[in-house]
Amino acid sequence: MALTDTRPETGTDASAVAPSVVPSPLTIFGTGDHKAVGTFYVLAALVFGIAGWVAAALSLGHEVGSNSFLSSSTAMQLGQTSDLGLILLVIVPLFLGLGTYIVPLQVGASTVAFPRAAAAAMWTWLLSSGIFIVASFIDGGFGGSREKSVSLTLMGLGGLIVALLLGTVCVLTTAVTLRTPGMTLDRVPMFTFSMLVGGAIWLLTLPVLLANLLLIWVDHRYSGGTTFGAAATQFEQVSWITHEPQIYAFLIPGLGIIADVIATLTGARLAQRNIFLFAIGAFGVLSVGAWAQPAIYPSVSDDLVWQAMGLLMLLPVLVFFGGVAKALKDGKPSLKSPLGLAVVSLLLTLLAVFAGALLVITPLELRASNVFATGQFVLAIAAALAAAAAGIGYWGPKMTGGQSADGLGKLNVLVLLGGGALGGLSLCVMGFSNRFTGLDGAHDVLIIVSSIGCALLALGGALALLGLLSGARKGAPEAAADAWGTGQTLEWACPSPPPTGNFGDLAIVRSPEPLLDEEV
Amino acid sequence: MTAHVLPPAPAVQRPRVLVVGAAFAAAASFTVFIGLIGIYLAARVDVVGSGAAWLPEGATIPLQQPNTMFITLIMSVFTMQWAVAAIAKNDRVNSYLAMGLTLMLGIATIVMTTYLWYLMELDIASGIQGVLIYTITGAHIVMLVLAMLFVALMGLRALGGQFTARQHDGITAAAVFWYAMVAVYALIWISIYVTK
Repeated sequence: MALTDTRPETGTDASAVAPSVVPSPLTIFGTGDHKAVGTFYVLAALVFGIAGWVAAALSLGHEVGSNSFLSSSTAMQLGQTSDLGLILLVIVPLFLGLGTYIVPLQVGASTVAFPRAAAAAMWTWLLSSGIFIVASFIDGGFGGSREKSVSLTLMGLGGLIVALLLGTVCVLTTAVTLRTPGMTLDRVPMFTFSMLVGGAIWLLTLPVLLANLLLIWVDHRYSGGTTFGAAATQFEQVSWITHEPQIYAFLIPGLGIIADVIATLTGARLAQRNIFLFAIGAFGVLSVGAWAQPAIYPSVSDDLVWQAMGLLMLLPVLVFFGGVAKALKDGKPSLKSPLGLAVVSLLLTLLAVFAGALLVITPLELRASNVFATGQFVLAIAAALAAAAAGIGYWGPKMTGGQSADGLGKLNVLVLLGGGALGGLSLCVMGFSNRFTGLDGAHDVLIIVSSIGCALLALGGALALLGLLSGARKGAPEAAADAWGTGQTLEWACPSPPPTGNFGDLAIVRSPEPLLDEEV
Repeated sequence: MTAHVLPPAPAVQRPRVLVVGAAFAAAASFTVFIGLIGIYLAARVDVVGSGAAWLPEGATIPLQQPNTMFITLIMSVFTMQWAVAAIAKNDRVNSYLAMGLTLMLGIATIVMTTYLWYLMELDIASGIQGVLIYTITGAHIVMLVLAMLFVALMGLRALGGQFTARQHDGITAAAVFWYAMVAVYALIWISIYVTK
């Protein structure tokens, strides 16, 4: 096969007209273009993210003092809605949106697999998210008193899980079947590999959440809510996705983003690439948490496997951390905002995993209350948000065709680091109040600090959104195909933004960094 | 002097997009049932461990209908594979016939399941047992209907002349999903109907 052989589906004229930068609502209805679908996922998820962190701050703020501005039932529902929302309306769709946009480009495909299914998944997710939010706010959250609203919440959640699974199938199928010649699985870019691992774990765990919701709904709707549908136990049955080890499953694509950003912005090939692949794979395996459901298996926290998973999770993260440190030391880091955000994400991931390791140590008694676990949840979700923000900053020029304002990104480095640390660590510190009585008096202060952290994370989401939009503004400097000048993977070989069909002729890939081979 | 003739270039390997996508979808569907049956088994252990009988007073689960359904679905595996093998040989008539038979066996399974629900005399509001059994068997019927729609759609596409001996991914993909659905029934059969 000649070096410039082209598969039929990639035989598109690269000079074709590029799509508009940010899809207009008029063009996006009905489109199956993976770039429009991916962009819309990212935009909507960022908006949900801002709302989600504000809701989290409000539900935490309710704990301060004795004169609460929310009733305890409302605060509880708000907290539960924001917990689930931050995962299913923000983090998973953010990564899925980036995956829908970037994975076809990274593997040299002209489109995502099943483009119409990907579009249908996005619209179903959006519609179901709307139903979930509205129903939750009319006393339909878990344990809510309006029966029909609760049913609507459950149906909305079920719908958005099905939609996310469908979108995941599209991205996974793209990575498995539509790779350009020569791109073997061990040569796929890190983000694509992490989407493969993360997507596979989502496919193996989110259906179990669907099973939980199905049982709650059937009991609530047809059996009077006496068992699974009992108001007091509804959230407990689905809360396992917010706890370790499952919470880590939503960080996996973030590791791929970190590795890709580090490689490009240090201008060097990742040394010992297999170590990164191993770390991401091991991280994925150790994050399978659908079996660890306290509602079904009350003594799960005493289970040796659960405790071992919590401790072992440190290993892949430390290996990954070591690989990144070596890459930064050996390369010539370009001090751009995606690099800073990637480092922040890695630090927060390390903190979340370290907190998780402490949580499983029984003598510390950190599981006596839910506070420490909530702190770990905030750290993990903040890490995922920082990784997504790094990805948005990194691929923003590709998505919008214009250079984003790097100042916003650099500000976001501080905001997300501060938000994650304040939001999560203060709750982790409070979790030790069972051992240090002096911490009881600091309860209100620590909650206020955590609320401020959550508000900062909302601001971080807003800054990521503004950063993306800044690349699309009129007068933004035009982005080159290789926007950073040191791109290594195939997405940097097509114009910014990519035209319909993405690529013209593609050379056979001979290494994980095909663009560097080209330069040689 | 004869000219040196190079062998023809190998045919471009078609990526089996639909088959891989269907396999992922089947895996996700299978996992829903793994979750449901795991919860079912945990609940049953709890109830039996407390000294009570698993099935409520008056309810019964006969084995004849579940066995008949299992045999029916195993037959459907053969008819589905027959459809795949036939289209692989460009034998369209046999492929249509096999897909039609598969659909009929699917309908027979739905009829038998509803009859079993009638025979069980198990009220959904009778407690955890009713909720679990009806949710699991009902969800399986939903998966069966989805699999039937998949087969029917691929049958219609075959009637439209879309599949050939070389390219019949659609029918293979429908078969993959169908086999997953039968595998799910095997789990239900052993967990709910046999070991009750």
